[in-house]
Amino acid sequence: MHIPDGFLSPQTYLPAYAPAAGLWWLAARRLRRTLDADTLPWLAAATALAFVLMMLALPLPGGSTVHAAGIALLAVNFGVWTAFLAVSLVLAMQALLFGAGGVTALAVNALAMGFLGSIAAWLAWRGLRIVNEALALFLAGWVSVVVPALVIAIILGIQPLIAHDAAGRPLFFPFGLSITLPAVMLPHILVGLGEGLLTWLGTTTLKRLQARHAA
Amino acid sequence: MKRDRLLLILYLTVVLVITLVHDPLWLSAGLTGILLLAGRQALHLLRRTLRVILVFNLAVSLGYLLLAHVRGFSPWDTLLLINLRVLVLTLLTFLFVSRVNQLRALDFSPTLSWLLALAYSQALNFRRVHADFRLALESRSPLRPRLLDRYRASAAAAAWFMDKALATSRESAQALRARGFFGD
Repeated sequence: MHIPDGFLSPQTYLPAYAPAAGLWWLAARRLRRTLDADTLPWLAAATALAFVLMMLALPLPGGSTVHAAGIALLAVNFGVWTAFLAVSLVLAMQALLFGAGGVTALAVNALAMGFLGSIAAWLAWRGLRIVNEALALFLAGWVSVVVPALVIAIILGIQPLIAHDAAGRPLFFPFGLSITLPAVMLPHILVGLGEGLLTWLGTTTLKRLQARHAA
Repeated sequence: MKRDRLLLILYLTVVLVITLVHDPLWLSAGLTGILLLAGRQALHLLRRTLRVILVFNLAVSLGYLLLAHVRGFSPWDTLLLINLRVLVLTLLTFLFVSRVNQLRALDFSPTLSWLLALAYSQALNFRRVHADFRLALESRSPLRPRLLDRYRASAAAAAWFMDKALATSRESAQALRARGFFGD
């Protein structure tokens, strides 16, 4: 889902670092307040978890697969701030240690996927779990994919408007909103269904596993 | 140690410059410079870069070609610029990753450096276990598993990783506390 390196203009990616830095600082502070000395080991483990959740396969009908995002699983089970920091660290790790992704898209991807995806998932789960827990988990997974996809579609789609040459030719991502919105949103609306299923099944399996440990 | 940090700053500066340059000639000069710097690694890094960018860039380029054909404008200048910029940026990143110890480059913040080192080692471990899970499902399925079974396998793996992450975090905290890392 995330934006690769080189498709965002500096007018987009440089300002994005300001809110991202503020939220990283706030998230680190909140996490330190709640976890204290266990914060660092927990954050490292959550980051490794976010990394591996992004490797899990979401099976599609017909035998093919796409990668899960795992954002809703993290947000629902461990909280929004942990999910945001863990996803941001995975993106940084992929950019700086594995050479995948990239620093120009890091802040935008972290805000869209890590922050807005986690918030959307957590709100959907909190709002709907009194109605039906399974439905709440499923919808949390779905919105955790659809909301970041919408933000990413909008950010990509405005590139030709904010970065073009004197002749009006795009300098970065070349498609406008009329193309990015359907092209990004339609597949992600379907992929979100798989993410919803994974969030529901993953959370219920984790609860069963923890109940077995406790017994 | 200082060298790695300086190279990180240089890398970030060059990335910014590459996104400010919109002339394919300058970007081509940059590409040549990076390939020369890569030396004997040049071909390997170039192949790796092309493998990484191929699918997304091909999709964008073919889509833009189609749009240009329908609307009747020339797409070539834009396609050359966009593809060249992505190629230069990605190649530069791979060169940076191959030449710089990134954990040392980030040691201006010991917490960040330590956090990334711990997360990186655990991520590599989880990646190996994930491959084991995938192979286990394949080896135990004489026929292709049903869609729901494949979801159950992914969900069981997700739950196992979440449970393991909690346990690993507790173990790491205890080990660090025992060695006086937190100063208590």
